[in-house]
This record gives sequence, C-alpha cells and structure tokens, in this order.
Amino acid sequence: MEKLLPPDIVKQIRDVFQQLKNPVQILFFGTEKHCDYCAEIRQLLEEVSELSNLITLSVHDVERDADLAQLYRVQGKAPATIIAAREGDQVTDFGIRYLGIPSGHEFTTLIQAILMVSARDSGLMPQTREYIRSLTRPLHLEVFVTPT
Amino acid sequence: MLAYQIAMENPRMVLAEGIEAMEFDELSNHYMISGVPDTVINADAGRVVGAVPERQMLAELMRALE
Repeated sequence: MEKLLPPDIVKQIRDVFQQLKNPVQILFFGTEKHCDYCAEIRQLLEEVSELSNLITLSVHDVERDADLAQLYRVQGKAPATIIAAREGDQVTDFGIRYLGIPSGHEFTTLIQAILMVSARDSGLMPQTREYIRSLTRPLHLEVFVTPT
Repeated sequence: MLAYQIAMENPRMVLAEGIEAMEFDELSNHYMISGVPDTVINADAGRVVGAVPERQMLAELMRALE
C-alpha cells in the first residue's frame, strides 16, 4: 500500500522521536458505520507507530469492542485516537483524545501529544498545575478544530 | 494542545477531546461553533474562542468552574 507520510515528514518525525523517553500506547477506535476515513486514519497511525519502538498501536472498534469503548468513554465518538502511557502491559489513560482525522495542523498536535505523554510531563506553569491538581469536580474540555 | 496538557496534569478529573468540527457536525451545530479553535468548557459553562495563552485559559477555567 502507498504510504501516507512523505519521506521528508518521516525524517522530521524520526528526528523529534529521538526525544521520546517512556513508552506510549496509541489506541484507535474506529467504526464500521459511516466511517469514510477510518482505514486512512488507521494507516496513518500505523506509519507513525513504526517510527519508534517506544510507540505501540492497538486498533479497536466501538461496536465490537463496546466494553473497551465504554471504559475509554468513546462510545459514539469514532473515529477516536487516544494517546496514553504504557508501562509493560499497563496502560495509563491521561484523558487525551482526538476525534476525527488527524491531518494538517492536528497531525502536528498528535505528534506533540505523543512527545508530552512520553515525557510524562504536561509542561504547564506552576500556578496552572496547582489549580488543575486541586480540581474536585470533573472538567470536560471539548476543543473544536478544523484540519487545515 | 493546551487542553491535552491540562488533562495530563489531572487525568482523574479532566477529559480533553480535540474534535474535528466537520466530522462531528451535529456536536458543532449544537454548540454553534463558528470559528476554530473553540474550547467548550463543561458543556458550555465556559467558552474560549481562539488559541489563547495558558494564563488566559487558566483564568477562563477558574471563571467557568467557580
């Protein structure tokens, strides 16, 4: 199959992936219903995962793997890409998801998210960290974007 | 990316979803999204339009969650 990522982009990603420190688990949840782009997203994530042995990709289906989809809160949200941490067989969910096709600027964000999760550090300012850690009620952030 | 950083800091409490507006048009219409990025905080308890600095996002979160 023809590659989605051009060679120059592959080289750039390989370069930044030199900074990866700890293992990252990418979970992709597709669906068989009305998902024109699921195969493409899956291929894109496979190509990214192949660029570092610290990255593992698992592919799921929101209908067939309904229990797992519920655990990760992605029912009705496919195509969903989750960037999580992995230690051995243990996957730690950081509540980081991208719903849709991660192309253009959102592809860059995906790579940044992989680097952040691998570093196990949000990189936020001390006062932001303090406030977010002190939250006693759930915070749901829905960031609407368009791939440009 | 800022939303992802926030989630990373407290994943027990925070869920951060980047949502492609065209693919999820029902949700976009529900929130009447007209420009991006547009951050919806707790189902419209707050709203941050545009890419804002961390300090401003923090202020908006505090306002929305107080």
